This record gives sequence, C-alpha cells and structure tokens, in this order.
Amino acid sequence: MPGADKEADLTERIEAFLADLKRGGCGTGPIRGSGETARETTALLRKVTAQARWSSAGDLMEIIRKEGRRMTAAQPSETTVGNMVLRVLKIIREEYARSRGSSEETDQQESLHKLLTSGGLSDENFRQHYVHLKANVIEAINELLTELEGTTDNIAMQALEHIHSNEVIMTVGRSRTVEAFLKDAARKRKFHVIVAECAPFCQGHEMATNLSKASIETTVIADAAIFAVMSRVNKVIIGTQTVLANGGLRAVNGTHTVALAARHHSTPLIVCAPMFKLSPQFPNEEDTFHKFVSPHEVLPFTEGEILSKVNVHCPVFDYVPPELITLFISNIGGNAPSYIYRLMSELYHPEDHDL
Amino acid sequence: MSSRGGKQKKGNVTSEQEEEEQPLQAVLVADSFNRRFFPISKDQPRALLPLGNVAMIDYTLEFLTSTGVQETFVFCCWMSNKIKDHLLKSKWCRPTSPNVVHIITSDLYRSLGDVLRDVDAKNLVRNDFILVYGDVVSNIDVSQALQEHRHRRKVDKNISVMTMVFKESSPGHKSRCEEDDVIVAMDSKSKRVLHYQKTQGLKKLQFPMNIFQHGSDEFEIRHDLLDCHISICSPQVAELFTDNFDYQTRNDFVRGILVNEEILGNQIHLYVTQDGYGARVSNLQMYDSVSSDMVRRWVYPLTPEANFTDQQGQGCTHSRHNVYRGAEVSLGHGSQMEENVLIGRDTSIGANCHISNSVIGNNCTIGDNVVLDRAHMWNNVHISSNVEIHQSVVCDGAVVKEAVRLNKQCYFSMLPVSQVVIGPNLSLPEGTVVSMHHPEEEEEDDDDEFLSDDQEVGHSKDKTRQKAFNPAEVGPEGKGYIWKASMNDTEDEELAQCLWGLVLNPDPESDSESEASEESQDRSRSVSPEIDDVNAFQLEVLGTLQRGLEENIVCDNLVLEINSLKYAYNITLKEVMQILTRVVLEYPFQQQGTQLTTLQYTGSLLPLLKTWSPVFKNYIKRAQDHLDCLSAVEELFLEQDTHQTAMVKVLMKMYQLEILEEEAILKWFSTGATNDKSRQLRKNQGLQKFIQWLKEAEDESSEEGE
Repeated sequence: MPGADKEADLTERIEAFLADLKRGGCGTGPIRGSGETARETTALLRKVTAQARWSSAGDLMEIIRKEGRRMTAAQPSETTVGNMVLRVLKIIREEYARSRGSSEETDQQESLHKLLTSGGLSDENFRQHYVHLKANVIEAINELLTELEGTTDNIAMQALEHIHSNEVIMTVGRSRTVEAFLKDAARKRKFHVIVAECAPFCQGHEMATNLSKASIETTVIADAAIFAVMSRVNKVIIGTQTVLANGGLRAVNGTHTVALAARHHSTPLIVCAPMFKLSPQFPNEEDTFHKFVSPHEVLPFTEGEILSKVNVHCPVFDYVPPELITLFISNIGGNAPSYIYRLMSELYHPEDHDL
Repeated sequence: MSSRGGKQKKGNVTSEQEEEEQPLQAVLVADSFNRRFFPISKDQPRALLPLGNVAMIDYTLEFLTSTGVQETFVFCCWMSNKIKDHLLKSKWCRPTSPNVVHIITSDLYRSLGDVLRDVDAKNLVRNDFILVYGDVVSNIDVSQALQEHRHRRKVDKNISVMTMVFKESSPGHKSRCEEDDVIVAMDSKSKRVLHYQKTQGLKKLQFPMNIFQHGSDEFEIRHDLLDCHISICSPQVAELFTDNFDYQTRNDFVRGILVNEEILGNQIHLYVTQDGYGARVSNLQMYDSVSSDMVRRWVYPLTPEANFTDQQGQGCTHSRHNVYRGAEVSLGHGSQMEENVLIGRDTSIGANCHISNSVIGNNCTIGDNVVLDRAHMWNNVHISSNVEIHQSVVCDGAVVKEAVRLNKQCYFSMLPVSQVVIGPNLSLPEGTVVSMHHPEEEEEDDDDEFLSDDQEVGHSKDKTRQKAFNPAEVGPEGKGYIWKASMNDTEDEELAQCLWGLVLNPDPESDSESEASEESQDRSRSVSPEIDDVNAFQLEVLGTLQRGLEENIVCDNLVLEINSLKYAYNITLKEVMQILTRVVLEYPFQQQGTQLTTLQYTGSLLPLLKTWSPVFKNYIKRAQDHLDCLSAVEELFLEQDTHQTAMVKVLMKMYQLEILEEEAILKWFSTGATNDKSRQLRKNQGLQKFIQWLKEAEDESSEEGE
C-alpha cells in the first residue's frame, strides 16, 4: 500500500529529525544554524501537511500541534522549531478563513473595544472540508520557506544604513547573521570590528577568522576586556538565539556583559535577529530557559582529583533584558524592543501560544 | 593462519567502495560475566540496572546510535528474557529506529570470547564493528577513530585488527576504575600499541626491550588513560577469537596479539580522545561516579532531562545546581535539594529533608527529616522519617523504617516480590549488603549465574521462607539477610572491595612514598601463596631421591625428574637448589630419626653426597648458585645446632667433590654473616680451621701458578 509506505517514510523522517535535535548542540551550540533548523522544520511540516491523513483544517492543526509538541520537547532551547510550528498553524488558520470567504484580516484588527466585547476566544471549529485547502496551505508554506531563505540577505541589505565609515564595532561570539551583515557593509565601507572571544567555547575566534578573510580589520579580545574596550566602540552589533516576547534576548553567554557595558557607555546595541527567532516565550519560564552543557570546556575532565571536590557548570545562554537593547534589525526592517509585542501578534495567533 | 585466509577472501569479495557503503555494525555484550553486582544482579541483569533512572543498556544503545551505528547485535546470557523484554518495549525496536537491534541469546556464553566466537560462527559481521559492553556510558564521537581505523586498514592491508578508544584522564580521577588501570606503550606517530599491561596490584612494571628497538623513534608510555571499553574491531577479531579458543577477555586478546605480533602480523592501535565522556560501570564505585558524572552533565547530551529513551512520563526538568525533578514530584515544607539531585516521577518527599548528590527513582516515598547524601535509590523505595543514608544503593522496593542510619557503601538487593525491610532504630555499618537472598543459598547453587533463572528463583524462595530473619541484623521489623557484616574481617574486606572496586587512595603522594618500604613486604606476600607449592615440591624431591637410592637410578634421570617437578610446581631455580640442598642434608634425619649423633649423621650423609654430586653439579654452576647453596647449608645447620660440628665435614666433602668452589666458600664466610647466630656459627673452631686451610691451599695454588 503506497499510503502506508508514505506514512512510514514520514514518521521515519520525523524520528530522525527529533533524534538530530536531541543530539544537536554538543558543546558549542547548534551544529547547524538556527536558520537551517527553521527551514528544515518548515520543510518537514510541509511534508506532514502533504502526506498525513486529514480531512479538515482542525485535523491538520491537531496533527501539527502533536508533532510540534514532540519537536519542541526534544530540544527546548531550540525555540526556532516551536516558532515555525506556530507560523504554520497561523498559515492554516488564515487559509481556512480565506476558503470560508471571510477575511481573517478584519478579525485581526484588534482594538480595545473588540477585546472587551469579544469575550472568549473565537469559537471556530475548523471542521468544514475544503478541496483546495491542502494545496493552498502548501503554497503558503512554500512562501514561508522562500521568506526564510531570504532572511539573512534581507538583514544584510540594511547594513549600510547602520554602519558608517571608520566606525569601531563590537560583536560577541559568532552569529551567521551578524557575519553576513558586517561583510555586506565591508563591501562599501571601511570599519574596525572588535570581537569578544566568548569563552569557554570561543566561537569569537572563528568569527574573527571569517571576518578577516573578508578583509575587515578585526581584533579579538578576551571577555574580560569588554568593558575596557567599550569606550572606543561606536556600535555594538550582536546576534541572538531567541528574541523573547518581552523584547529581551536569550543569547550566547557574555552578551549580557556586553549589553551592560554598552549601556554604561551609552553605546547603541543593535541586535540582528531574523523574524523566525521571535518566540512567544517569556523569560520567567525558568526551566526551559537555560541550557547547561558538559562542563568539559570549563574544567577539563583530565583535571583529575579536583573534579570530585568542585561543582562545575557550563551554561550556554544569557538573558538580556529589553531595556538594554536599542534596536532590532529583522528581515522586515528595524524595530524597537517595545514593538516586539506587535510583531508577535502579527506572526502568531494568540490561541496557539501554548502548543 | 586461517585468519589470513579469511582476510584475503574478504578482500576479494567486497571492493573497498562497497565497504564504505555497508552499514556500521556493533556488537553489544549485555552481560558482565562476573559477579560484581551480586546479589543485585541475581534479580536483575546488570545491563538493566538503572543509572539516573534509565537502564544502562539504553545509554550504550544511544551512544551507538548517535555514532551512526545502523545494526546492533545484542548478546545476552544471564536473564536474557528480561533484557529482551526491555529492548522490545524500548524505542530501539520501533520500526522507525535508525539502529536495527538484533537480540541474540544463549545460556552458553561465559565470556566475551564465547560471544565473539559465536559472532564468527554465525558470520554476523561483514565489516569493521564497534564492540562495547552493555554498561558503557559514553558520548564520545568515535567517527574520527573509525576513520583512522579504516584508513589504517586500507593503507596497511588489514594489519590493524583493533582500535581501542581511551579517554585521557589523569591518575587519581574518581572515574578511573582501578581495576582497569593500564599502562600502555605506544608508537607516537602510528598510535600502535607496543605494550599493554594492567597495573592493578603491580608495584613494578616491566617493558620488554624489543618494543623500543623497532618501529619509529618516538614512543609514549602512558598511564593517564581511562579505558572506555569501546573498541573498533575488524572482522578478523572474531576469527582470531575462534582460532585462539583460550581467549576469554579483551585483555587476553590484546596481550595475545601483542605477543604473537611477529608471527601473525596483526597490530592493535589506540585512539586517545580528550573530548567526550566514556566509562564502563564495572563495579559499584564506578556506578557511583558515573552516576554523579551523568547528573553533573558530563555526558551531555545524555542528560536526565533529555529523555533520550523517549518514554512517556520520563521527562524531567533541570534547574539550578543540577537539580532534576520528574513529573508530579512533591517536596515537603523546609526540605532542601541542595545540589546534583535527580528525582524520578511521582516521588514524594516529606518535610525538612536534606538531599544532596543523590538519585531517587520513580514512585518513592520519603518521610520527614531524612538526610540523603550520595544515595542511589531505585524505584518504589519507601523511606520512613529520621533516616540517614550515606553513599548507599537502595534497590527496588526496599523499605527503610524509622531512625535507620546507613553508613557508607551499604547496599540492599531484593527480589521484586518480597522486599527487604530495614529497621526501625538501627545503624548499619559500612559495607553492609542486605538481600532477600540468603547468602548460604548462594553457596549452594554456586556459580550458576549462567543458568536459566526462572526455576531457580522459584525454588530459592521456598528456602527463604524456612530461614528466619535475624532481628539483630536487620531490625525488629526487618526482612532480609545480611551478606557481609563489616569491613573488619579480611575476607569481607575483599568482598566489599570486589563490590565497590578498589577505593581510590585519597593521597597518592604518600602512597608513592610508602611504595619503597612496601616493596619488601610485597615480595614476602607474593611468596606466601606459593608456600604450599614449595612444600609439595620439597616432598616430591625427597621422594625422588629416595627412589633414586633404592632403585639405583642414574643421576641424569634424577635431574630430569627434578626439572619436570620444578615446572610442575612453578619453582624458581634458586629455590630448587635450596630445597635440594636441604633435602639431602636432612636425608639422614628422615631415614633414621632425629636422635642421630653427629658422627652417625656425617657417616650416613657423606656417601650420599658422593652419590648425588652430579645432581648438585647440575644445579650449582654460577657463583651466585654457590652462595645460595651455602646459605641453604648454613640455614639448616643453624636449625640443627647440635650438629654444627658436622658442617665442616659436609663443606669439606662438598669441596672435595667439587660441588663448591673455594672462592665461594671464602666469600660466604666473610660476607654471609647477617645475624648473631650465623656469626656464632662462623666462630666454630672446626670451621675456622677449615677456612684457614682453604686460604692456605689457595695461596699455595696461586704460588704454584706463579
């Protein structure tokens, strides 16, 4: 039976993806960038949409939710996966509404009056069957995929607006987005980049190598020197792992130090974050917020006896509160942290926030 | 040489590209073939013992799967049904699993060697495979090692048969298992193992010189290696095990290969890694340290909250100070989970408890004011109030009543049905083992660890009922038997060490200092177990000589017989000589009783010496031999002090018979005196005269020479 084959193939692919997620991020963070994870998740969800058995939008959403829950549980620190699931759910809702003829757009227009009068959440049951729904959803997901593929370029395109000649720019660790951003600016302008090495994984070294290959004047500093060097810096440009719902960041450790130093010297802090990093999560959800990896990098296993006498921890992320951030640069333009809530409601449907 | 043949065949059939494409295979041995975890392992195979609330075999399978193994053969022997059930229920046997698990069971496996011979017999492996035990916990990325191994095999035409994975860790590391401590000499460039030796209990290490003479000019001798018990094997390994049916363990194999390297041309290589974590839970000491390493996230991403076994409800959350909580855990008022604590689901903890460095299983209940430190509690354990547990393992379903104190290294083992109950008001000393199995029962059914368990458990239960529990040992309401009461008796200490492994010396420096002084004791210790052999040998020599005299056997044949005895009893040449001298000198006493006068003694001894002089001459050749012989003579006459005057005559006769040389005698006389008695002996007039005479004779002869 070809149908059964397809389904087996699908579950196999999902399992493989889950296993990858679970093992992903040995030490230095994700093996692949979050952009790639986002694309893979979306592609997988497209496959689910195409191959799973469902008759109405409600069924499909249930299936996607179920898989989404498993995917997010596999690696809670990888919020991109959850974000993509939410995006797909939102797409299904929109397509369903469009098929029904009513435009979801008008419903979305929130006003204080509407919030008061609507009472509960919408009582839509999504049970109606539409022939073209599947094709439409897949089409919309394809659009999302194209959007995802263009994010880095879209962000990099804005580089010239933010980086001027002879500026000194500080960054921390390695971010693919920031790398592309700086390289794009370097095509027209000359500037100096200072990279904080970001111990213990020292992704900063790799970043510096890549930048100097693109003939950007680059200096690597130890994390301890961040504050001392900050007075010379014109702008801090960093990447992030996640943008939280309150506009704060969950970024590689060391970022908070940079942000505080920048605030002290009133240096603008710019965060390059594609939209798919925007997560409806708030920073108080402590349990899934942190990620501790093997303490090997902090105190090597070879140290011997000392290890039985001390506790060694190796956290991966820092929380950066929104008040330290000047500007977010996403693929759709620059936004202040206070505007994040608005983007959130545009991207995700409020009913989906909890999978 | 059959291995060679097999190799070539293989090389012809599969081209190298095909080899690359073939799925990576692994052989997992889910049996330890020892009784380290006894009596726990009586009810539960070791591979299924929970480590951080997950069966150990799951860690091993996860490790294999994450390194890209696509086909795993799990070999089980002891309690194979349980392992099979476990695996069938686990995610490894789901159709979507990327790693296909085959379970092979047999009651006949008694060692790793048997398993690998079976691998060869069934022709299971087609390519390089990974060999691990079912209790290895690791996150090492062996793909690098695998690549190196394959590269070597391609370049060197299948000479390299095995690559062992070691992790760098300095001596004194708590996760180093003393039993597995090895010293390895290797070629720095090619990573070839030249010499491999377990160092447990050794004070001296010897390296054969020839390992440094050929090969490259850079060598490393390393003692900072932790054996991960992960080896990448070529298919020949299985063949070699078949060819050499006496190989039992990997250690045998490695040593065998190294010894026969020149003949068979096989080599073993080493892969030393600094990253990752790999250790085998080979005893309770290791269980404790691997468990704590796991909770401290050294094995990331195999952490408790990752729920890599993908079981429903197994997930837990991770918060500060490495505290992991499962679902539905309740914590009483004032209780503290200090650090490195893992608590399974549905466990409830009372008020004012202090828990640190502990692992608590699912469905446990813990009362108020409980102190747990380095405790390992498995599932369904019930602990009442005011209990203190330190560094102990409390197994499935145990009940610990009020005010019990468990000191270091206690552990309980129990049947799944009837449970051990301890207390109330009891303090168990260090190293206690309590089990529902009666220790004697164990002696009765001896080492049938390998037999099928089902009937056996049934019939041992009947016996259990007949024997009463000792309330002094396990408390007024207690159920269970004490296995090893305390560490005071030497015998028990050995057993406790056996269970816990050797306790690491907390201060290695003082250890090395005392090493020199210990050496002399050590030597006497090493001799002591041989005493029986020496005695037996002495009796045999006596018998041989007697027969020789009676049947008039030629001395050459006597020598032959003594030589064969020497090998049979594993006696050194020096000892042979001393014993021979002693036997001969005591011969008259043996034959005619100890009441002989000196005159009678010498009268009967001197002809004997003459008869057996060829035998002596055969053994006494080097200068040292002469001295040894003389010291044996001296020793005997020191014991028989009434016959000291006879000594001169004996020496004289031996000198005349050219058994002893004059230089040796003179040397012995001048230097040999070590205590008062022997000094006294040397003051004997007859002896003085004899020496005087010897000296003169020497002078004369030297004069003559001039």
